[in-house]
Amino acid sequence: MKTKVLALAASLMAATALAGAPAHADVKIGLLGGISGPIAAMAPAMIDSAQLAITQVNEQGGIGDGEKLVGVVGDSACNPQNGTDAATKAVNIEGVAGIVGPHCSGAVLAAAGSVSIPAGIAMITPSGTSPEITTLDDKGIVFRTVPSDDYQGRALARTMKEQDYGKVAVAYLNNDYGTGLANAFKAEYADELGGEITQFAAHEEGKASYRSNLAELAKGDADTLVIFDYGDGTGLTILRQALENGFFEKFVGGDGMKSEAVIDALGAENLVSFVASSPVGEQSKSLDMFNEAFKGAGGDPDAIFATTSYDAAFLMALALEKAGGNKDEVAAAMMEVSNGEGEPILPGEWKKAKELIAAGTAIDYKGAAGDQNFDENGDVPGTYALWEVGSDGFEVLSEMK
Amino acid sequence: MDILELVNFYIIPGIVLGSIYALGAVGITLVFAILRYAHLAHGDLATLGAFVALACVTALGISPLLALPMAIVATAAVAVGIDKVFYEHLRNRPKIVTVMASLGVALMIRSVIQVVWGVDTQTYSRGIVRPEDYFGLRIRDREFYTVFAMLLLVGGLQLFLTRTKWGKAMRAMSDNPNLALLSGIDNKKVVMLTWLVAGGLCAAAGYFLGLNTELKSLMGWSMLLPMFAAAILGGVGRVEGAVLGGLVVGIAEELSVLWIPSEYKAAMAFVILLFMLLVRPTGLLKGKVL
Amino acid sequence: MEILGLVNYALYMAIFIAIYALLALGLNIQWGFAGLFNAGIAGFFAVGAYTSAILTSPAADGRIGGFDLHFTIGWIGAMVAAALVAWPIGKICLRFRSDYLAIASIGVAEIIRLVIKSEAELTNGARGISNIPRPAGDFGYMESQIAYLALVLGVLIVVYLLVERQFNAPWGRMMRAIRDNEDAARAMGKNVEFRRLEAFIFGSALMGLGGALFAHFNRSITPEAIDPMVATFLVWIMLILGGSGNNRGAILGAAVVWIIWSVSEIATDQLPHEYAVQAKYIRLFLIGLMLQLVLRFRPEGLLPEPLRGDLNGRGRNTKSGPANQ
Repeated sequence: MKTKVLALAASLMAATALAGAPAHADVKIGLLGGISGPIAAMAPAMIDSAQLAITQVNEQGGIGDGEKLVGVVGDSACNPQNGTDAATKAVNIEGVAGIVGPHCSGAVLAAAGSVSIPAGIAMITPSGTSPEITTLDDKGIVFRTVPSDDYQGRALARTMKEQDYGKVAVAYLNNDYGTGLANAFKAEYADELGGEITQFAAHEEGKASYRSNLAELAKGDADTLVIFDYGDGTGLTILRQALENGFFEKFVGGDGMKSEAVIDALGAENLVSFVASSPVGEQSKSLDMFNEAFKGAGGDPDAIFATTSYDAAFLMALALEKAGGNKDEVAAAMMEVSNGEGEPILPGEWKKAKELIAAGTAIDYKGAAGDQNFDENGDVPGTYALWEVGSDGFEVLSEMK
Repeated sequence: MDILELVNFYIIPGIVLGSIYALGAVGITLVFAILRYAHLAHGDLATLGAFVALACVTALGISPLLALPMAIVATAAVAVGIDKVFYEHLRNRPKIVTVMASLGVALMIRSVIQVVWGVDTQTYSRGIVRPEDYFGLRIRDREFYTVFAMLLLVGGLQLFLTRTKWGKAMRAMSDNPNLALLSGIDNKKVVMLTWLVAGGLCAAAGYFLGLNTELKSLMGWSMLLPMFAAAILGGVGRVEGAVLGGLVVGIAEELSVLWIPSEYKAAMAFVILLFMLLVRPTGLLKGKVL
Repeated sequence: MEILGLVNYALYMAIFIAIYALLALGLNIQWGFAGLFNAGIAGFFAVGAYTSAILTSPAADGRIGGFDLHFTIGWIGAMVAAALVAWPIGKICLRFRSDYLAIASIGVAEIIRLVIKSEAELTNGARGISNIPRPAGDFGYMESQIAYLALVLGVLIVVYLLVERQFNAPWGRMMRAIRDNEDAARAMGKNVEFRRLEAFIFGSALMGLGGALFAHFNRSITPEAIDPMVATFLVWIMLILGGSGNNRGAILGAAVVWIIWSVSEIATDQLPHEYAVQAKYIRLFLIGLMLQLVLRFRPEGLLPEPLRGDLNGRGRNTKSGPANQ
């Protein structure tokens, strides 16, 4: 029986080896995401929007000499074990030229440390927001299209101060995303701007009731609740229970809360006092172009991190084109295709970009989620807008500085 | 803090949460007592029940309350089927093997849910429900339903266990399996009944969790540990103990926010449990010592 | 390139299997030898990983450490810390038998997880610790994997030999006697409580070491790594499937389960392109199903516990499994 099991394992391995052999000269990139695990609800839209970028590339001439770009989906399950596993398979079995993902910071750090940095494969995460990624000793190959939590937390604090929100209470999810945003917000709002934060509390995900948390948060008479959480997870539960029980009058969320799931579950009519910050390109035309394309492909452009995922995949394709298919130069090329100088390229403009690269002209990608100009750490500064719930989905309320 | 606020925002949510835990814990305690292993697929089975109810609501357009009985019947049937296919042949093996098998079943159920219903967060009905005011007590309809359904189901189960022939057979198996078998009790039927009851209650737990919050594919898995804590806290094999345990865990979790940082809320169930095991290893009501 | 890729993948698999094998060996001491149902592996794994991370990572703001010490000190520190944490837990919890111990240890592990996640001064909270040095990490990709594998295998072999020696020594016989018949062992004058605590601490120290090896391999450790599914239940599956009470079984179990875990993804990737995301859900089903199949046909584990006193016969011993309560 042991032999049977081993035989089964061996045949799986053999199948793998066969599948791994490239049938034709496709260029592969890995799309690693937390498909199973705690952010399972968010991952499919992120993968889909990255696939959209790949489809556009292939429709408009492909990579290099018309080679096809292929996205290899891997499950990083939002933990380091599976993140490393998926990245190893993508790099070694599939032979990807670059990795888009993983989604969770823990998986990003582990996959970078054990696979992509040693192997020199460029990696660009659409949603790993941890500041640890900035300080990572990554030999310049780890990028992200989502700004570090610091940018957004501080920008949100400044905007709220400007709009006279007054006393606020902060509820945040106890993971790297929520903690990072909340601490940045607190540092700016309370310490820099002299605003008052009455309560500041973390919560665990997956509980059925947060009413006692809300009752605690309400102590101190703040009339605004700031939620740093995911709108299709615990954040939704908290927002629902706050609305139902009449805690707080106004609600402000981070980009994780700008989710269609919030409107679907609670109804737009109940969300008049809810605003969320979310990244937006300086030329909001970029975002419109993405929205239209993603809707056309059957996706929901308001899904969390859909824009950053699209940008990550498109940037990866641009960098690959620029590097001429040479894996080792993808990271350097990534810096060149989006550094604020050159002919602007908007989402979906692959053909134009391809011609410009062929002609040797400098290009600058203006993404759906911001301009995506990388600094020396591979981070991008964010440009944000506050969004409110309108009759058909989220609408921009005001720009944020 | 005045007393109404305490009741409205800590005690009532605690009771509702506790009722949901109780529904799951009763099933766990029955499986523990009669079949003698920890069933780790219980949470995912509850998720399945919740999604079956959702399917009834969306496909037939009936009100969520009518979907509950359907979900209970369907999940009970699934539970019996799982036992037949995956657990039955392991019955004479060390119990730990079945525990591992149940872990595999948990993964399989989750996979089926994610393939069939997707991973999006869903709700039975759109919009929010503000609570009614009863002399200052703020209670929502669905919270009444949750607590009443729990009392009804568990009360019915208790009657079944104490008054009917097969209920007594189940208790006999729990007390002394060898004696029960010698006296001619049909083991197979008892096992099947146990799974019918556990599966049905599981569906109810998942359904009410979904009704009070949202449906997610991992919602049951994250409920598993508090449900186990509730079952053991109440005393293994004691149905009313599991209810008590569930309520204690639920209320304690909600009240804990008053004294400890809210990120440690999830630890509350275990702190109580550890304390309990130290001072009274049989559980709140005297259960079996395993 | 293709061959090199497969070799790199195989190296990676071997490293992960060796790390999980350490955890499974630690669990085998507790469950296979002593019959202690420790379901809190993740807690000791975490303590080891974080201790070594704090000891060896470069200095950082906002948390204690890093002390930038040599990795061997980190690994020893991980074992010591895990043992130190295990001691009071064992002292309190080992009086509960079997399933009660399981739920108590799950609870302790969850509390440890929450502390690690929330106490930023100690562990950098939810962000975790990165820039942990990997021994021989400055070489190229494959060279550094080979070097790390050699190191991990060296550790695993030493641990295996030590545990196997203990297992066949009078100490091992005594532990099994306590496991199989506590009263008889007590009547023979054995200090049951102390011996159990001993096994619990030894096993936990190995789990701590496994955690440290894991953190150094990934050069980072975050709270997501101590999820009960991947850090506790997976190890249990490995031990039970491999054969509890048999050290080689524990290692084989780790290999088989991790291969199933990892390779199942490649298998489901053969589905058509449009089902790429669904394939990942089906993968979970496949993992569950493989587990069921092995349990169906080898419920006593791939390598069952050898019947003692008949070491050459290697008879099937399904009756006196430790779980036969």
